[in-house]
Amino acid sequence: MAFPTEDGLVQATDDVSFHVDLGETLAIVGESGSGKSVSSMAIMGLHNPKTAKISGQVLITSMGSTTDVVSASSETVRKLRGGTVSMIFQDPMSALHPYFTIGNQVSEAWLLHNDGTKEDARKKSIEMLDLVGISDAKNRFDSYPHQFSGGMRQRVMIAMALVNHPKILIADEPTTALDVTVQAQILKLLKDMQKEFNMAVILITHDMGVVAEVADRINVMYAGRLVEEGQVDEIYKNPVHPYTIGLLQSVPRVDQIRGTRLKAIPGQPPSLISLPGGCAFEPRCEFAKYVPDNRCKSTRPEVEIKLAGHQARCHLSAQEVRSHL
Amino acid sequence: MAEIKAGGSRNKVIAIVAAIVVIAAGAFVVSSKAGNKSGTIYYITNAQQLNHLDPQRVYTGEDIAFLNTYLYRTLVSYNPVAGKDSSKLVPDLATDIGTATDGGKTWSWTLKSGIKWSDGTDLTCEDVKYGISRIFATDVILDGPTYALQLLDIPADAKGVSAYAGPYKKTGQDLYDKAVTCAGNTITMHLKKAVGDFNYFGSYPAVAPVKASADNGDKYDLKPMGTGPYMIASFKAGDKLDLVRNKYWDKKTDAIRPAYPNEVILRFGISEDVRDQMFLKDTQPNAVNYDQGLQAPNNNNKVFHTDAKYKGRGINVLGPFVRYWTANVSKGHLDCLDVRKAVFFAINLQSIIDLNGGSELYGAPADSPISPSIATDYAPTTGNIHDSNWKIGGNPDYAKTLLATAKGSCPAAYAKATSSGIYFDLAKTATGEKTAALIKSAMEAAGMVAKFNLIEPGVYYPTVMNPAKQGDITRAGWAADWANASTVIPPLFIKDGGFNLNQNWDDPVYKDFAAKVSAAQGETDRAKQAAEWKVLAQIAMDQYWTIMPIFTKQQFEWGSKIAGVDFWMPNGALLYPSMHLK
Amino acid sequence: MLKYISKRVIYAFVMLFVLSIVVYLIFGLVPIDPAQLSCGTHCNPVVVEANRHRLGLDIPLWHQWWNFIMGLFQGRTYGEGAAIIHCPAPAFGYSFPNNACVSEVMAGAFPFTFTLAVGAFILWMAVGISFGILAARKKGTYIDRLSTAFVLIGSSLPIFILGLLIYITAFLLHMIDPIVQGTWVSPLTDPIGFFKNFIFAWITLALAYAAIYTRLTRSNVIETSSEDYIRTARAKGVSERDVLYRHNLRTALAPLITNAGLDFGGLLGGAIITERVFQLPGLGYMSIKAVLRDYDLPLIMGTTLLAAAFFIFFNLIVDIAYAYLDPRVRIN
Repeated sequence: MAFPTEDGLVQATDDVSFHVDLGETLAIVGESGSGKSVSSMAIMGLHNPKTAKISGQVLITSMGSTTDVVSASSETVRKLRGGTVSMIFQDPMSALHPYFTIGNQVSEAWLLHNDGTKEDARKKSIEMLDLVGISDAKNRFDSYPHQFSGGMRQRVMIAMALVNHPKILIADEPTTALDVTVQAQILKLLKDMQKEFNMAVILITHDMGVVAEVADRINVMYAGRLVEEGQVDEIYKNPVHPYTIGLLQSVPRVDQIRGTRLKAIPGQPPSLISLPGGCAFEPRCEFAKYVPDNRCKSTRPEVEIKLAGHQARCHLSAQEVRSHL
Repeated sequence: MAEIKAGGSRNKVIAIVAAIVVIAAGAFVVSSKAGNKSGTIYYITNAQQLNHLDPQRVYTGEDIAFLNTYLYRTLVSYNPVAGKDSSKLVPDLATDIGTATDGGKTWSWTLKSGIKWSDGTDLTCEDVKYGISRIFATDVILDGPTYALQLLDIPADAKGVSAYAGPYKKTGQDLYDKAVTCAGNTITMHLKKAVGDFNYFGSYPAVAPVKASADNGDKYDLKPMGTGPYMIASFKAGDKLDLVRNKYWDKKTDAIRPAYPNEVILRFGISEDVRDQMFLKDTQPNAVNYDQGLQAPNNNNKVFHTDAKYKGRGINVLGPFVRYWTANVSKGHLDCLDVRKAVFFAINLQSIIDLNGGSELYGAPADSPISPSIATDYAPTTGNIHDSNWKIGGNPDYAKTLLATAKGSCPAAYAKATSSGIYFDLAKTATGEKTAALIKSAMEAAGMVAKFNLIEPGVYYPTVMNPAKQGDITRAGWAADWANASTVIPPLFIKDGGFNLNQNWDDPVYKDFAAKVSAAQGETDRAKQAAEWKVLAQIAMDQYWTIMPIFTKQQFEWGSKIAGVDFWMPNGALLYPSMHLK
Repeated sequence: MLKYISKRVIYAFVMLFVLSIVVYLIFGLVPIDPAQLSCGTHCNPVVVEANRHRLGLDIPLWHQWWNFIMGLFQGRTYGEGAAIIHCPAPAFGYSFPNNACVSEVMAGAFPFTFTLAVGAFILWMAVGISFGILAARKKGTYIDRLSTAFVLIGSSLPIFILGLLIYITAFLLHMIDPIVQGTWVSPLTDPIGFFKNFIFAWITLALAYAAIYTRLTRSNVIETSSEDYIRTARAKGVSERDVLYRHNLRTALAPLITNAGLDFGGLLGGAIITERVFQLPGLGYMSIKAVLRDYDLPLIMGTTLLAAAFFIFFNLIVDIAYAYLDPRVRIN
């Protein structure tokens, strides 16, 4: 996926390939600008076709039929959105329309994908609001977003996303803007809902703590590329890519030895306009010096299986990385 | 009569834009509309309303001519003909032009019989008497001529307040009833002193009859009733005055008004640019410009009155107005003849004439406060513009020699002229500001300092007529109220004359001058009186009370279906009675 | 809500009250003497004093003001004897140059101003908003550039030039007859004549204002389209059409209510230049005449207060409309 700009082509994502199954939670992890949100927008077909160039496929299989979001008509994609594929966003404060009641907004989502009266929509919406933990949903149906707290608004967002029982739920930083205590509640709700509706969940986050809690698998992205992919336990135990290692070291852990400092990854993510020919992480990589012939600078690493169910984009093997830790 | 119309401020940008539009639309052929002979004459004006409709309050020459033609009848009228004979009086409501007895102290008129109001009732002598009485209600009947107040034999207190307060308050009603009497159809007026030409006042709408039962004070100004051939169908400021035929008017009683049109509409509030196009393009062939002249600075006026294309649709004529600058000769101002002369000789009059449209449209240097239009009383004077040292473009060298004399004869005025500055009063318009620049440079060339009071046009006269606010030299204009210099010399040069901007009562020659004026006013032999006015005009010019006068020209325009148009000199207006549609 | 509105109404009256004092103070300080002005050429100080008395100017300024305020409730009477004049409440005074009570003058002028304002308002809102939406939707295309040109011309061309340009062009094309232009025609008896009277004035005013509304609409729509809740709407599967008309415009156009209300309220006080050019004797025409020609203090006072009242009233309407549209304002 690329965006032509005045300064050049912004290669937001490149060679990204992943899949997610029903009942499974895939976490896409990375810093801002790593391409994780852009990827999710592409899945939803929410990119602006005038400003974004997209190549490749996004295949969604539901009820035995498969649709390619990239090549399908805009009307087909629109019907998928909010129906088969739903999304919740980072900031529940601004993601709800301030002028409409929450009931109205949830009902609208239902009405868009179902034939039914406003009354039906109201009933369905109240049910769903109830389900996501809005107490007294019947009476709060006619309240406006600003009358709710952040956490409650995110519950409304979730209700709105789930009212049509989607197969895929994309949660883009769903807890980032919330208080820590609320974060836990929302994550639990997401988990419960996934069980309830047997959805595939794509969780987009930069927070490795959140990932540990809910995800089954992880995709780590850096500079528009997938750099490591695998089962959650596997990656937490044996991170292979130096970037993943950096991410994990920057998260406080319960089992951390007291007095040791959290480590930040030095440097800044690169500009997506003129990526270096070699490994995009090379300028910030502490392990690059162990790779002979300056290959990190000159050659772009391909995705390789490093361990069982665990692949990464690095010139070093899992053992080599481990030995230099 | 005073010059009421101040030059409106005109916007150059509008002019340019309008010009562009006109050029753009030039290719568009304006088709002339099919004729409508039964019709209506339209008068077009930029003004939002006439100053007044109430007969006792009307005082501008054009309004007098217009309203006297269509709406009111007065005791006597100016002869409705072109040329010199127009200054003669002819009977209107009265059977003759008035009879003077008691050596000119008592005047009487007998009304024609069979004259009706527009409501169908008969006109009575009491109606005429009542109309004149309204002039005394000076708190309601504002702006009109006040000759009746000054001349009728009713006492006034030291401040000049008449003992009669008009028909609304009725204070001193018995005094009025004695001064103005009705016997049958004959009205008689007793004057304080002999006035040989009092009957001319009988041509003013101020002596038009008013029916007491119809009088509603201020509001009478909105819809006065008349005895003329037309009556008011509707009047709305900013919109129009619509006059329709008065079926009670009888042509047999009226030798003055042919009353050609079926309807007369005076349309207000047309912007100057639109009005100009109406006449240049002849879009309304049965329209007449009520504003006199197109927009001068836009060249429209010059084009209209010089291009042969418009021949037969305009008049450019010497009018009764004299425009001039008057020197304030009171103490502390220009109380020095040499300084006044220095200013007179220093000014570049040509540049001022050119600024206002050139000699072709604006006028020529004058040598008297009396206009040649009052042929009986006007004679060329000596000195001033006939002085060998006078140059139309200014003579700074001669002005300097006069100043040198002034240095010895009147040091205070000399100091004012050369250092603290002579203040000129001017209207704050584009033209006024340009005039100021011309005066400033001419004065500088002669070693004098000119300063300016630029006054908003709407308050110009009230400001300069306040002695505390008047500067040293004031721009003004005047036309005779009737064809006798008795309505020029006394108002302009006599204390309490009404329009004396000279404040000249401390001038060394004033006492003698005032005595001569008094004698001339009482003179009943018109030829002798004329000779006396000529002497007085010479004195005023020799004293340089009036400097840089201009005998001004007037322009009129009309559409191609209007015929019978001529100039009615005594009013400085068109000869309305003869105008008709082709 | 009721409490909020009543508070605003009281506030509005206090504003008008203060304004009346300010206007009186200003006119008290201006070195123009209406008594002298109405005295004419053959004037003497006694007549000036009599005028002053008749105009009610021979008493202290505060007392004049007090009489004015009382007149609003009780009506006022001027003159003596047969020349007595009574102005019923609400009496703003008597306009001597118009020979009528100020309230009568204003009542006669108001239909022109009202018609002009309403017609122009409808026209400019329709043109401005639809052009703005179109430009926002077609951002970057020639239509958008056309809108930019329109905004530039409309907002930079002074209205008196625009008005005169339109008038003279229409006049030379025989679409305006200056003789009848501006004479009131009832829309009930002659709808076409009524329409002809106002159409070019509407166009003139609408062009000037539509430019502003095009710019505002365009930028608001573009700004709103990047809001998170618009993305949410898309994610729900709302069609592009509904995203624009249901979700975007609701918020994008709300701020325009403020402009629209104040502009309309301002116009009800009189559109001086447009009324003058198109010969429409409305409130603006009357006030310019009162200021420049007549120095007619009571009429100036009346039109000033009326214009202010309209402005304040529409300010109030805007606040209430805003509260209706934006629940965040409503509840707080």
